[in-house]
Amino acid sequence: MQQKEQTLFAILDAGELLLTAGAEVARVEDTIRRMAHAYGFVRTDVLTITASMIVTVQAANGDVFTQTRRILRRETDMRRIEAVNALSRTVCRNPLPLDELRGRIEEIRSMPEGSKWRLPAAYLLIAGSFAVFFGGSWRDGIAAMLCSMVLYAVGRVGVRIRLQPIVLTVISAALMCLAALITVKAGLGQGLDYIIIGNIMLLIPGIALVTSLRDMIVGDTISGLLGACEALLRAIAIAAGCALVLMQLGGAG
Amino acid sequence: MNTQMVLQVVMATIGAMGFGLLFHMSGGRLLAITLGGAANWIFYLLGMEVYHDRVIAFFVAALATAVLAEIMARLMKTPVITLLVPMLVPLIPGGDLYYTTLALVQGDMEAFAQYGGMFIREAGAISFGIILVACVVQTAFRLWMLFRERKV
Repeated sequence: MQQKEQTLFAILDAGELLLTAGAEVARVEDTIRRMAHAYGFVRTDVLTITASMIVTVQAANGDVFTQTRRILRRETDMRRIEAVNALSRTVCRNPLPLDELRGRIEEIRSMPEGSKWRLPAAYLLIAGSFAVFFGGSWRDGIAAMLCSMVLYAVGRVGVRIRLQPIVLTVISAALMCLAALITVKAGLGQGLDYIIIGNIMLLIPGIALVTSLRDMIVGDTISGLLGACEALLRAIAIAAGCALVLMQLGGAG
Repeated sequence: MNTQMVLQVVMATIGAMGFGLLFHMSGGRLLAITLGGAANWIFYLLGMEVYHDRVIAFFVAALATAVLAEIMARLMKTPVITLLVPMLVPLIPGGDLYYTTLALVQGDMEAFAQYGGMFIREAGAISFGIILVACVVQTAFRLWMLFRERKV
């Protein structure tokens, strides 16, 4: 591959990292445009949606290159957004040699996961606090924390055996509701709704929905529609999972 | 402020911290969004106090939080979105979305329309608040650049 094509490939790597870490579409497009400009491309056309990136650049001597990427999995990771952002700033001030750019990108991609307690702690805090926040008692909070551990375990297994996200959401919601029912039947939880809502804050694509609405208003209509559609599907999957359990065991929920 | 409100603010704070952890934040930034989550719900309660309308209060809270996030992001030299998203978490209408979808599955179209409408208006109010701030900041920034160019 030619040097310029390699450079474009590396720039797309940076864009892909941003997009998979949950950055806004507008930021991804802007970063790619700026980096391409810094590496001497005179014209850049970039279209990014949440599922794919298409970039065409024109070099100073008139050569034109096009590359695309398919984006499958996204997981919010603010550290990576920040790191790519910093890298892009560095590049715009002073374009790094290609090898160094690749090295930096690889560094960001292979960032350590951090403490293994981070995720369970986050689950406990979110489920417990929001169960109380939405009107539950402190006992509901504790019940919600127990249920969040079910959610965490199911999520771990689901990711390991590569379940489809929607299927995983249905199963997670169903098992979580079952756990919530058990805590209520056992006498620990009092308000079933609050325990479930506390845990739903972990599953619900609320942030995705707000982001997609924002995308639509700033003109990224396709990304916005895709995001909203995905969020809606997930919301329905959650409700289906809950309904599955509540209708059978919870007296119509 | 009654005890109910204090409890909500405390829980919103813990919840925002949880989301900060979930999104891989640590150190000073985690502290910033934890406090930002508390500020976010206080803004909402103040909005409720003044306007007595959930949707308007959501808009006010999103607007104020976005301004706060813009300032903190400038100070901490980090993209705004990394602070703003976890700080807005207490506003995410999880309860309404739950009742909406449950009503849909149960075939209760009246409750579905009621909760669904509420949810869409709340989500819209949040988005609108964020965008308004982003647009004002962008416009101000470009005007400032133009002004500086002229001077040079």
